Amino acid sequence: MIPKAAPTPSEIRLKDKGRLLVVSFPDGASYELPAELLRVESPSAEVQGHSPSEKRIVPGKKDVAILRIEPVGRYAVRLTFDDGHDSGIYAWDTFVSMGTNREGLFAAYLEALKARGLSR
Amino acid sequence: MITKDSVLAALASVPGPDGRTPLGQSGGVTNISVQDSRVFIAITVDPAFPRTQPVEMDMLRKRVEAAAKTAPGVLSAIVTFTAERPTTNAPAGRPKARGQGDPQGDPVPGVKHIVAVASGKGGVGKSTTAANLAVSLAALGLRVGVLDADIYGPSMPRLFGLTAKPDVNDEGQLIPLENHGCKVMSIGFLVDENTPMVWRGPMVMSALTQLLRDVAWGDLDVMVVDMPPGTGDAQLTMAQTVPLSGAVIVSTPQDLALLDARRGIAMFERVNVPILGLVENMSYFVCPHCGERSDIFAHGGAKREAETMNVPFLGEVPLEMAIRETSDGGQPIASTAPNGPFAAIYANVARELSDQLALTEPAARPQLKIVVE
Repeated sequence: MIPKAAPTPSEIRLKDKGRLLVVSFPDGASYELPAELLRVESPSAEVQGHSPSEKRIVPGKKDVAILRIEPVGRYAVRLTFDDGHDSGIYAWDTFVSMGTNREGLFAAYLEALKARGLSR
Repeated sequence: MITKDSVLAALASVPGPDGRTPLGQSGGVTNISVQDSRVFIAITVDPAFPRTQPVEMDMLRKRVEAAAKTAPGVLSAIVTFTAERPTTNAPAGRPKARGQGDPQGDPVPGVKHIVAVASGKGGVGKSTTAANLAVSLAALGLRVGVLDADIYGPSMPRLFGLTAKPDVNDEGQLIPLENHGCKVMSIGFLVDENTPMVWRGPMVMSALTQLLRDVAWGDLDVMVVDMPPGTGDAQLTMAQTVPLSGAVIVSTPQDLALLDARRGIAMFERVNVPILGLVENMSYFVCPHCGERSDIFAHGGAKREAETMNVPFLGEVPLEMAIRETSDGGQPIASTAPNGPFAAIYANVARELSDQLALTEPAARPQLKIVVE
């Protein structure tokens, strides 16, 4: 009966005009996820490709905002961003891993932008 | 001050996705949101539109953005296309583009629990188990529906002895057929038994969504869903479209089947669908002539597996000629020999299952709150 995936969050709160998503879990853990990070690290195949080598680096999302949050089954939400991106399905454990690696992910993203001569 | 109405007025005369009907009339604008001097406009298009008419879509986007900027105070406009039709606008009987149910709400109105009966491997007796389980749940006094989600190989018409074509009600919904105390809907009612279903993923999704939502199920305590074997489109669609109360996994005791059962369990756990339990089918064989018992596929494997995976074990069903014959004859043994030993076995599984369901009553489920500030 105990699923191995992360538990269902108790609350998903969209703040700061859609630019910050706060995901809280029943155990008290809470993660603040900027819309920019969620957008550029979207689990969608449009961003992640079908293997790590296919991953796309998405520039210019500094001011991106989340417009809509829709539940998907029992395990995820679909986020719609104001740039039209809406194919990312964010499972609960995606939030946990993004939340716990937030700084590292963002630093890696900035590196990747720099390496390609792109900007936020 | 920008208002939704002023933006909508500016868009009213722009030709919509079909290139003719103005957006003001077609109802294609599903959402407008305003942030300072920026507006975001969501327009509903046919799911095939971006693929079949990319040029038209780009033109539509540009026309709408240009028109929106003519509204007073609008500095920039961003157009989003969505392939989802809001359910309130959808004509009855039409397939919904993408069935995103609200897990907290009422995904299929009137249906309390949706239970998937699944197996990793085919041929383990999943459909036979699902049919007898449904009949036994009905015998417990529950209102039971059976949705045949095995669209590649629908078995429920035969298992329930149903062959008629379902009628359509005034709202354009299919009316499920009834037999052995259960309401049954299957793609098999709509196509000839010998016609192969050669379908790609998106068609599977849309067929399942229709079987769930465009059928007059009425009030049900439990909807038993007979899944196709494996871990593919149908499983994912069910997991994404409706909040399943849980899944029952059917397996034979042999290692080869248990291996796949384990995959099935892992898949449901991955999408947060609780495993309500494991049923061992073809558990043993008692020779009708000499009475000697043979453990053809070994015995007890599923029970051990359930213990290992920490999921409930719901019971074991023997390999028995009478079960096979009644199943093929459309006379599920749980219904036609309700006082016999095999009906008792299924009744036990049904009781175990309904106990597990009681544990997953909506009130006992973790509730997710979504807040937009």
